[in-house]
Parts: sequence; C-alpha cells; structure tokens
Amino acid sequence: MASQGLAYDGCNFFRQRLVLSTLSGKRVKISNIRSKDDNPGLRDFEASFIRLLDKVTNGSKIEINQTGTVLFYMPGLLHGGSVEHDCNMQRSVGYYLEALLMLAPFMKTSLKATLRGVTNDHTDPTIDMLKSTALPLMKKFGIDGEGFDLKVVKRGMAPGGGGEVFFSCPVRRTIRPVQLTDPGKIKRIRGVAYSVRVSPQMANRIVDSTRSVLNQFIPDIYIYTDHMKGANSGKSPGFGLTLVAETLNGSFLSAEMSSTPQGQGDPMLPEDLGRNCAKLLLEEVHRGGCVDSSNQSLTLLLMTLGQQDVSKVLLGPLSPYTIEFLRHIKDFFQIMFKIEVQKPSEDKRKGGDKVLMTCVGVGYSNINKTLK
Amino acid sequence: MDGKVKEQKQKQHQQKHSGPKAERKKLKKHGGPTEEDARKRNPKAFAVQSAVRMAKTFHRSQDMKTKKHHIPLVDRTPLEPPPIVIVVVGPPKVGKSTLIRCLIKNFTRQKLGDICGPVTIVSGKKRRLTFMECNNDINTMIDLAKVADLVLMLIDASFGFEMETFEFLNICQVHGFPRIMGVLTHLDSFKNNKVLRKTKKNLKHRFWTEVYQGAKLFYLSGMVYGEYQLQEVKNLGRFISVMKFRPLVWQTSHPYVLVDRMEDLTDPELVRTDPKCDRTVSLYGYLRGTHLKNKGQVHIPGVGDFQVADVNFLPDPCALPDAQKKRALNEKERLLYAPMAGVGGVVYDKDAVYIDLPASHVNQQQEEMRPTTELVQSLIDTHATLDAKMAASKVSLFSGSATLEPEDIGEQSGEKEGLQEESVWDPNTQRERRKVVFTTEDEEDVSGSSDDEDGDSEDSDQEDQGEDDGEKNLSTFLKEARAKCVETTKTGAGAPPVKRPKLEERKGESAEVPAFADSEDDLEVSEDEEESGGEEEAGRAGDSGHCSEEDEEESDDGEEESEGESGEDDVAADAAMKEKIASEEEEEEEEEEEEEEVEEEEGGLKWKEGLQQKASDAFLRQQQAAPNLRKRVYGSVVEVDDSEDEEQELGGLFRVSRPQNSKKFQANAVDSSRFSPDASHNWELEEMLNSIRDCFVTGKWDESQDAATLLKEDEEMYGDFEDLETGEVHKDHTGQKDPAEQNSENDDDDDDQEESVVKVDDKEAMKNKRLEKKQRLKERFDSEYDDGDATYFDDLKEEMQKQAELNRAEFEDVDDETRVQYEGFRPGMYVRLEIPSLPCEFVTNFDPHYPIILGGLGSSEGNVGYLQMRLKKHRWYHRILKTRDPLILSLGWRRFQTMPLYHIEDHNGRHRLLKYTPQHMHCGASIWGPVTPQGTGFLAVQTVAGVKANFRIAATGVVLDLDKSVTVVKKLKLIGYPEKIFKNTSFIKGMFNTVLEVAKFEGASVRTVSGVRGQIKKALSTPAGAFRATFEDRLLMSDVVFLRSWFPVTIPQLYNPVTSLLLPVGQKDSWAGMRTLGQLKHDLGIRNKPNADSLYKPVVRAQRHFNRLQIPKELQKALPFKSKPKQLQPKGKTPRDLQRPSVIREPHEKKVAALLHALSTVHNYNRKKAHTLQHAKHKQFLQEKGKQEEAKLQRQKEARKKLYRAMGQADQKNQRSSLKGAPKDD
Repeated sequence: MASQGLAYDGCNFFRQRLVLSTLSGKRVKISNIRSKDDNPGLRDFEASFIRLLDKVTNGSKIEINQTGTVLFYMPGLLHGGSVEHDCNMQRSVGYYLEALLMLAPFMKTSLKATLRGVTNDHTDPTIDMLKSTALPLMKKFGIDGEGFDLKVVKRGMAPGGGGEVFFSCPVRRTIRPVQLTDPGKIKRIRGVAYSVRVSPQMANRIVDSTRSVLNQFIPDIYIYTDHMKGANSGKSPGFGLTLVAETLNGSFLSAEMSSTPQGQGDPMLPEDLGRNCAKLLLEEVHRGGCVDSSNQSLTLLLMTLGQQDVSKVLLGPLSPYTIEFLRHIKDFFQIMFKIEVQKPSEDKRKGGDKVLMTCVGVGYSNINKTLK
Repeated sequence: MDGKVKEQKQKQHQQKHSGPKAERKKLKKHGGPTEEDARKRNPKAFAVQSAVRMAKTFHRSQDMKTKKHHIPLVDRTPLEPPPIVIVVVGPPKVGKSTLIRCLIKNFTRQKLGDICGPVTIVSGKKRRLTFMECNNDINTMIDLAKVADLVLMLIDASFGFEMETFEFLNICQVHGFPRIMGVLTHLDSFKNNKVLRKTKKNLKHRFWTEVYQGAKLFYLSGMVYGEYQLQEVKNLGRFISVMKFRPLVWQTSHPYVLVDRMEDLTDPELVRTDPKCDRTVSLYGYLRGTHLKNKGQVHIPGVGDFQVADVNFLPDPCALPDAQKKRALNEKERLLYAPMAGVGGVVYDKDAVYIDLPASHVNQQQEEMRPTTELVQSLIDTHATLDAKMAASKVSLFSGSATLEPEDIGEQSGEKEGLQEESVWDPNTQRERRKVVFTTEDEEDVSGSSDDEDGDSEDSDQEDQGEDDGEKNLSTFLKEARAKCVETTKTGAGAPPVKRPKLEERKGESAEVPAFADSEDDLEVSEDEEESGGEEEAGRAGDSGHCSEEDEEESDDGEEESEGESGEDDVAADAAMKEKIASEEEEEEEEEEEEEEVEEEEGGLKWKEGLQQKASDAFLRQQQAAPNLRKRVYGSVVEVDDSEDEEQELGGLFRVSRPQNSKKFQANAVDSSRFSPDASHNWELEEMLNSIRDCFVTGKWDESQDAATLLKEDEEMYGDFEDLETGEVHKDHTGQKDPAEQNSENDDDDDDQEESVVKVDDKEAMKNKRLEKKQRLKERFDSEYDDGDATYFDDLKEEMQKQAELNRAEFEDVDDETRVQYEGFRPGMYVRLEIPSLPCEFVTNFDPHYPIILGGLGSSEGNVGYLQMRLKKHRWYHRILKTRDPLILSLGWRRFQTMPLYHIEDHNGRHRLLKYTPQHMHCGASIWGPVTPQGTGFLAVQTVAGVKANFRIAATGVVLDLDKSVTVVKKLKLIGYPEKIFKNTSFIKGMFNTVLEVAKFEGASVRTVSGVRGQIKKALSTPAGAFRATFEDRLLMSDVVFLRSWFPVTIPQLYNPVTSLLLPVGQKDSWAGMRTLGQLKHDLGIRNKPNADSLYKPVVRAQRHFNRLQIPKELQKALPFKSKPKQLQPKGKTPRDLQRPSVIREPHEKKVAALLHALSTVHNYNRKKAHTLQHAKHKQFLQEKGKQEEAKLQRQKEARKKLYRAMGQADQKNQRSSLKGAPKDD
C-alpha cells in the first residue's frame, strides 16, 4: 500500500520538494542538509517554512534528526482555513507565499493566511510583485472569484521586518488548461515605489529616474508612490520599486529592486535604484514570454496539475530554479514537458530566445475538497 | 416454432393506383409548391390563437432542448481506440459461452473451444471487440463491471430474472453505468405462443425499469445444432458494431489494462531454490482509459497494489485494417487474438506455454489465419528466447565499450528483481549491500546491459522477425545496438557537464550553432572549465556517473573519493567524446537503414507503416530543435532514465532522483526563485535597447496585426463608398468592384479592359486576392450573424472541441517513442507491464477464467486515510448493518475489507455515532481505507464467499470527504448521586474518580432526571471524585444527577484488500476475511448473557401512605374563608345549657292543631282551583280580543285600498289630460 518515496540531497529547492510532495502525496526524504557546513542542519527560516506547512496541512508527519541534516516528510492532506504565521526574518514573506500560492487552490477550505515578517527584500520576490504578476496569472488557470486577494497590511523592510500580508484564495476542484503562446505587445507600465521610515521624497526620486529610462519605449507609465507611516511602516527603514509591464493579451512582466537593508552593505541612491530597476524590467522584456521569470515554476505546476489536456505556454529562458522544478515535476508526477526553443527572427526586435513549453496535464483533481 | 417464423411472411405493401390518395400523391410528385407553402396559402391556420398557449409550447420545446444537453466533456478518445470490452454476464447455464462463441464465429469465421480470458477480435474497419465472460462469482462481477464498455446481460426467459442479474445491475449503477443490452435465451422452451409473448413483454418492462425506458432487449429464439440462429447472432453483432458509448467518469480518469496475457519472468533457478519467492511477472493488454505513466502505481483487484517496474508498448497483435475504400473486411483482416484461450495453438497453463499444432492441420491452419499466428508466434518468441539471446548479445557487443549505460533493463531487471526482494529495506545498509551484489553477481549486467529502453519493443520485435532471417538480422541488431551504445555514451558523458550552471553562455551558443556541434562545444567548454576550475567541480560532475550512493553514505571522506573519481571520469568522458564524434555521422544513416530493414522484415504488418517516416521526421526535427535545452533539463531523454533505474532499484523504497550531478554542485545553495539578470546585457547601449523595441505597442507590428495594413485592407474590402453628408463618392483605388455583386470572371474582364497590359500571373494573383477577400467577408458576416445565437452551452462545447483538436494535433507528428515520454502511454496501445514482487500464488494459482485488471492509480490514490462517505443500506438487503462489523467495500479499483463506523449529522454539524444503519435512510460512514477522489461510488457486501440465496449487495454510497482525522462522537452520560443536600447546593458523588477528572469538567452543566439543571462548581477533597454543584432547585436524595458529554470515537484502522485471485484454482470464490461479531458468535456457539436488569420481573408496588397536611396556625388565620381548612371533625355533645327542652302538647292542644292543619289544607285546595279557572277565562278573553282586532285591520285595509285606487285614477286622468294638451302646445 505504501506509495513510493523520493530521496534528495541538500537543502536547495527545499520548498519545491515539500510542495510537490504535498500535492502528489509522495513522501520525501531530504538528507545531507548542510552536512558539511560549520552550522549544519536546517536554518530557522526553513524550520519556519515546515511549521507553516504543518499549519496548512492535516496529518502530515515530519521527522528531523538531531542535527537537522535529515528531514523526512510524509504529507498529509491540505486543510487550509485561517492561518497565521510569523515568518522568519531571514527570508521575506515572498519565500513562504510562493509556496502557499502553489498549494492554496487545492485546500479543503479556502485559505486565509496572515503572514508577518519581512515583506520586501533582495533574495525573494516581494509581495508587490507577486500581487501584480502571480495573481493575474493564476486567474488564467481558472483560480478566480470571490476572496482571491493579496493585501499588504503593513510593510516591513529587511532586516527588522514588522510587515503583514493577508492572502486569501478560493478552492478549486480542477485547473483549466491554458494556451499562452502569444504574449502580445506591452501596452502600459505600472509600478509601485514604496518607502518606509525614510523621507517620502525618496519615492518621487525613484519615479523620476525610472521614467527617464522607460519613457523612450512607451509613454503610458504610471508609478504609484506608496509611503507607509506609523504602525504600518514596520521596523526598518528602506525603499524600493516594483515595475510591471502589462501586455495586450493580459500577461505581466515585472521587475523589482529594493534598497540595501540597513547596516548591510553600501546604501543606495534612489535614482540609481530607479534606473537599475528599469533596466531590470528591460531585461525581463528581453527575456519575454507570457510569464515573467519568477513565476515560471508556478505556471508549470498549474499546467501539470491541469486536466488531461494539452497546455502550452511561452516562456523566456528557463531559470535554473525552473529547470530544477521541471526535474522535480518529472520525479513527482512523471510529467515531461515538450520544450521547443523559438528563435527570434532577424527582422523582429523582440528580445531573446523564447521557450515554448507544452505538456499534458496529469488530470489532477483536488482530493481535499469536501463534496456536499 | 422455427417453421412458424418462416411461414409468417409479411404482406406486401399495395400501392394505390386510383382514388384520392393516389391523386394526392401524383399531385405531390408533379406540383411540389402546393404543399410547401401551406403556411402562405392558409395563414389563418398558422396564426397565433392563444399567447399563453404559445408561450407554453415554446417553454416546453425549450425544456426538451435543454434536457438533451449533457455537460460537454473534452473528447479524449484516441484516434485508434482500444477494443471495446464486452462483458457477457448471466447466471450459470444461461448460454454465455455459447453466445460468445457464436459472436466470434460471426465476426471471424473461427471456432473457439473453451473461452478462457479475454478474446479480442476485429469486428469492422474501425472497431475491435474484446469479449470476456463473467462467471457467477461476485468478485468477478465487481471487477468486470468496472472495465466493461458494453454488458450483454443474458437472461433465461424460461426461468425469469435471477438475483445475479440484479446484483450485476446494481454493481454497474455504482461504478458508472456502462451500456447494457439484455439478451433473452431459452425462448424455445415455450410451447404456447401467447405465453411466450406475455413473458417477453413482462421481462422487457422489468428490464426497462432497471436500466432505462426503451433499453434494448434482444431475443435469441432457439438453438440450432447447439448454436444460436445465424441471423439473430448477425443482428446482435450489427447492434454491437454500431453502438455508441458515453465516457464513464472513473474509466476516463484512470488508465487500466484488461490483461490478456501473463508471463512469469522470475529466474527459474530462484523459483527452484525457493518456490515461494516473490515473482516478477509481465502482463500484457490493451491500455484503456487515459494515459499511463511509466513507473506509476497500479492496483490489481484481487491481488494488491504494485509499482510498475517498466512499461513498453508492443506492436498491436490485433490491429485494425488499413484504411481502404472497400466496405467489408477480407478474410485476412478478421483477426482473433486470445492467448489465454489458446488460439493459434498456444495454450497458457499457469506458468508455461504450450504450443499445440496438430500435424494434420498445420498447413491449413497457417493459411487460414496467417496474420494471427504470425503475430502470436512472434510474440511468443520474444520472451521464450530473448533472455538467452540478450545475454549473449550483451557480452559480445559491449565488452569493448567502457562507459556504457544499461538501457534495456526491461528484461534483465526482472531477473534481478528477485534478488532485490530478498533484502529487507533499510536505507543505509541496503544500498551498500546492493552495490556488492551487483559487482559480484551480475557485473556484466550492470555495465553491459544496454539497449534503448523504448527501443526495446522495436528491438525485440525485430529480433522475433529476425529469427527467421537468421544472420542477416543479427547483423542488423548488432548495428543498431552499436548505434544505441554510441548514443548512450554520448549522452552519458555529455549529460553531466550540460547540467552545469553556466546558463547564459550555453544559451548564447545554442542560439547560433546547429544542435550537434553545439553539444560538442558544450562538452569542450565544460571540460575546460572542469580542468581549469578545479577538481571539485569535476568531482561533482563525476559523482553522478556511478558512485553517488557511496558519496552520500560516506560523506566524511567523500572529498577524497570524488577527487579520485573525477580523474577517471574525465578520462571516460574523453573516450566517450571521441567515440561519439566518430560515430555521429554514421548514426543517422544507420538508423535509417535499420528502419528500412525492419520494414522489409515485417512485410505485411500494418502497424509499422508510416512509423518509420514519422520517426525519421521526428529525428530530424529533434536535431533542429535544439535538443540541448531538453537534454539540459531532463538529461538525455531515455538513456539517463535507465541509468537511474538502477539507482532507483538500489533505493528500494526510496527512489534516488535523477539529476544527481546537477544537484550536487548546488545542493545547499540559496533556495530562491529569482533569476539574476544576464550580465552580458548592457542596457545603456542603443542596440540593446533596440533589440526589444517591438515588444511595445509603440514598436513595429506584424503584417497581420499592423493597424495601417488592416486599415488598408478594410478599405479594399469595402471598396468605394459614398459620403452621404458631402455627397462625395470615394472610388476604390484598384478600380475593383464589390466582389459580392459580380463574379470573378466578370471582374477579370473588367480588369482586362481597364488595364490593358496585365500578365497572366497577375491575373492569378488578383483572383486569389479576391477570393481571399471574399472569404474574409464571409467570415465576418458569419461571426456577426452567429453571434446572437451562440449560447453559453455552444461556447462551452466549442471550447471543448478546440481543446480536443489541440490534444490530438499536438503530438500527432511525434514518433511514438518520444510521444510516450511526453504523454505517457496512450490508450489503444498494446502494452507490456512488468511488475516485480508479485506473490507467488498469483502465478501458481493462475486461472484465466478470472479477469486480471491493472488499474492505474492517481497521484495520491496509493495512500491510506480516513474516508467519509454517504451510505445507504440497499433496500433489498434484509438486515441492517452494525457499526464496527467488518464490511467488504468495492471502491475505485479496489475491493477491501474494512470496519466502518456509521454516524448521522446532527443539526449543529456534529457527527453522532449510530449503532446500526437506519432502515430506509442515508447515513454517514467513516472508514480507514485507500484515498479515493470524492464523488466515487462504492458498494458494500458482507461476504464474497459463496452464493447466498438472497441479495448480496448490502449497501451503496458515495465518497464525500477525505481526511487524516475524523470527528465522530458518541453520546456519553456520566451518572452521580447526591451525597449531601443543602439548599440549592449539593455534593455529588460517584460521577468521577479523581479530583483531576472533576477539574476537567468544572463549569459543565449537569441535570437531574427530574429536569433540575445545575452546574459543576468545584471538587471536594474527601470522597475522591465528589464535587460541589449548584442547582436551580433543591435536590432530593433520590435524584440521579447526570452529565451529558460527547466522546470522540476512534475508527479502527483495518484495511484488508480482498486477495481472491491468490486463492487456489476452484476456490477463488471462497475468500473469507474477518468475521462479523454475529458470525463469530454463531460459529463459536457463544450466546449473549442478557443484562440482569433487562430481564422482566413481576412488579411489586408498595402501598403509598400520605401524611396529613399541616397548615400553620398563622397561615390559617391569614387565609380567606374559602381556603381555610374546614372543621371537619364530628359534632361533639351540645352542652346542657345549649340544649333546648322538647315541647309536649296537651290532648286539647293536639286536637286544635290537627283541625287547623285540616282547614288550611282545604283552603289551599280551593284557592288553587279558583286560580286555574280564572286563568282559563282570561285565555278565552284574549282569543276573543284577537279576533276583533283582526277584523278591524281587515276593514281598514279595504278602505285604504279603495282610497288609493280613487287617487290613482285621478292621477292618471290628470296625466292623460296633460299629455293631450302638450302636443297641441307644440
């Protein structure tokens, strides 16, 4: 009766493995987690992630050895409901939220999660970015409707944190297959320039410098300035920018940048930040595709978990994270993607290579949802 | 009876040649229009009579229309669907085997003896059928109901319906209703025609209520020479071959195989030494349902859950004929495939294959069914000789090449499997031990077993063919193997470096250079990096090769080892590279050659045609379409997969994931989805900026989308128009007229006239352009016109249609090998599944009469958990079910025994435990069982052993919810007694045992039997468990206090799969699991001692004595007189002073008194008399007076009458005179 288990090495792609394990019901054993490190074993943020996973599931079994170098995870069923979690400060809320985005549509009851911690930092996609790209993306897969929301209640910059995010997602039984082969042309650029515990002028300076770069492509640019004060501003000062380019066919490409955390590295000028972020957006546009680089794995997962129909999506070059994700999908779901590289033709100036990913869904249906 | 049927010839239709009917017909023939516009001719007849009625009819028609709608589903049926499974069901001795035999004879002109296992035949140009006989065992009935597409339900008309029929119908209803066709047999036993007709009608109507109104019921009137009548069988066959099927939910969402061939692959030596060892078995059959993924989990009903070691597809043994113009099948195309039934002289007996060729029939038989035998023969040969052959070929072929990867594990792994099963799983030690096993025992296997995995089927097939041709084919095989080996070496060596994290550089190159050269470059680059970068990196790359396990295990000294290995690996890689480069040019040619040869060999076999073309196409395409990316993601497609097989097997329970090497180098890196930007892009440069200009709306648009071009086209399309305001006429630039007005030829002429010099090509071009324009116009018109009509349903249907087309088209031109990788094995393929570690009884007790089904399981359907289901006892089952009594459930693919708890949901959502199922109501049931998607139906039986006289299905229901914990509660009343009673406070004892228990229940509400409510306050110290409680009233010592609580019940974790297929032949229907409590008691002769309190005894009631009511004096005083207690005591003696003296009369006085008394009596009498007299007189007087009054009134009335008449006359006179006067005045 025992379904097969999978074994992995090392702590990298930790989330992918646990998320896929939860969705596929296969147990997973991860060994040699930083076994040669001076500080071996799981880090606090990973432990916090496991705790979050424990909160949203029912009946999962987690065993960690004494040094924390071996983790055994037997997934339970996704339960959902109201969840509150204090995320670890080492990683931002995005780290946790990315996993929740993957799990949320397949819960028993709709998820209402309140996550506290760092909302914006360098290593992970920030809340603003996920809100502006991941949510519309999930809507294309039929995850939509009442109570599909992501709110930034409080903003907390690294390293102090103090931010709060509210995420709610309805439950779906099946996921729709998608054909996203034509990204369309970019019709507008929007953005949020945020600043907390610094002069509100910072945001305006960011906006100006950003526009100076992007205006040579398109005039329809609007960047909101978001200055949070008082209790909503978290514990550390900082500022940053998130840019989103929306295309005619409703796909979103985004780029972001935030200031260096207080007391870590050289401080950054808002003008530089704006310019660099604009360049990052151009880079993202150059990569192109219907989905931006940080949401590739989410897209591929939802395609995999679709009906037994063909789904297609055009992506930019695959990020290393996505490549590993593809391998993991093969391990957990035995799904292989057909990967076709589309080279841009000479006369068209549409950025670099695109990759057309095609797959047949596994015919996944949400076994957690209660039938009434 | 037969004679009768023939005698009753139908009366010919007589056509009228004269009369009104004939004339009307004639008119109709000649003057059609008179009929057609009746509406016009007689508009009144079609006018709206009643708006209400019209609305009603409209509603009704709309209702009918929408009722016909089904939820549109994406049509996922493959182009070449698997054979339709026809299950023939019925009670024993009803004629099942005879019917199958007759149908097979009807379709293929062949006679079959014993019907063992599934029989597949080609029935038409697009349809194949698989017949399966279902015996009377409920296990078989359940299993076959799950895979049936069509059920032929045989009913003995002379007897009527039997329970088996209804049981099977109920099983079908639960597991999705396949098409069901009833067949009445034994109709010849009726002598009386009327009785026959009546019986038919009765049976038909009963059948209709069970299936649906109008369900087809077929009559087989009688037997001729032990077979059914030819014509009737033919008709039945026709019905079958045109029947349509609606997809069933469970079947379309799970892959499954109805096994028609079984083979034991276990090492004979192993079996000899340990006859009870677990077996490795390969099972064959058509894949149905959905795509099957390799290495998936399957359930074999009656055996258990297993992991598929390997799947590959084989050439179709019973292929459909080629697309041809002609209508009927020729003799050669009428194939029959039934290996278990011994067709083609092959008999499968348990674990051996007998080829039975009677000498006299050899030639004839081979001529008769040549394709069949050939195929079967080839298939047999595959495995009868392959082991030895492969072993030999391995040694001779691959001894030279060092870094070969094992590929065709398909065959070998089976042998190894037995070895693996021996070892008990233990993650640390096992791996190492395995390593040792491999090196000592089967070194050659490990290093040398290399053959393309998915090429396996092809190869093996090739070999089969090759047997005949001898050496020539051996050489082919060698060539191919060499080619494959070359490929593997390439990928084996190439894969690790490809997976290095140098994403950007790699990509840049891949954009320019053709595929193969590119991969070489990669190799070189990576190698350079390895060498220059340091040994560490190289070590990581090398790890993946063979010693990842060791590395994991011995992580302490891994550094040194890896260094050492890296050296080796580099060398190996170099060697591989050289080989690869040398062989690359040859490779393609060789492959093509092979394929050509293969085709030659196969000759008439159709399944191969076109494949080669496809394969070569696909190959070329792959070459072009940058295989690098795919390789970089998945490693090189097949070969690496196989290399991992070994590792996986090493793991046993845990699978070592494939891209080991790539993981190694970043095993503990930061886990972030961010994709750092390409350093080479400098966004300051103008050219860089220009490279993305067209991504914005401000950039250049495509020809098809550009606004300017579109505008221009529109202009052309609508041509000249007149501006109504200015009156200006805009002419079309090209001078063309509106195409709708003139046909193309005219246009051409015009053009010719206007433009004198027009070349022929131009003309053609113009024509095309015009046509195109017309097309576009038409499309636009259509879209505008249809837009209003399209409903939501139509849209949905169209969407599904589109998706279905896409599904079909997407992988159509990919060759099967690759396609299988993407999609999995698609339904319709003939597959071979290899399953390790099957219990030996499966093989030793194999009986082909029992179906073997491989049911694929979904992603988490292999797990066990709590299931909540809605259950209803079947109305025909005559007992109710008891909680915690074991029950055998058929759910999903599985049959298992479990212990359900029944419960019902209270109004507040609480699940309250029930001791028994309700009689005629649904209730909840919670079990511990396999995770199955919600909405799946199930049925329950109490026993599968033997046939009981009555209905066997105990309950049916549906899965509602899955969870890892369940909250079913049971009511629990804790009872206590008052120990001491104060006013409203009492001390209660006997409810709890310790202070701690009381503490837990502080604040809980309690109640007495008489209904006085209270609350637990605090524990008392002295009698342990006693507590203080307050009540709303004073208790009595005789009161009983109870606390009502809910206690969560744990569900017994029993999941016991029914292993009926493992039982010895002949006893397969006698599986007995856990017994119910009742059975146990019955078997052991235990009788319950009734509770002494429950026994009836004579009631002895003591006489009740009531005390007197005492009212305090004070209260008595205050009471009103009414409520005061009355002095009811008897009167005492009157005191003397109150006693009156009695009067005694004198005699004189007595006399006076008597006289007075007499006088008064007389007086009274007289007075009374006078009074009555007076009364009568008065009455008379009143009468008199009334009469007088009446007369008086009469008189007055008459007088008045007279007066009024006079007055009236006077009035009239007056009026008349005035009228007379009036006209004169005028």
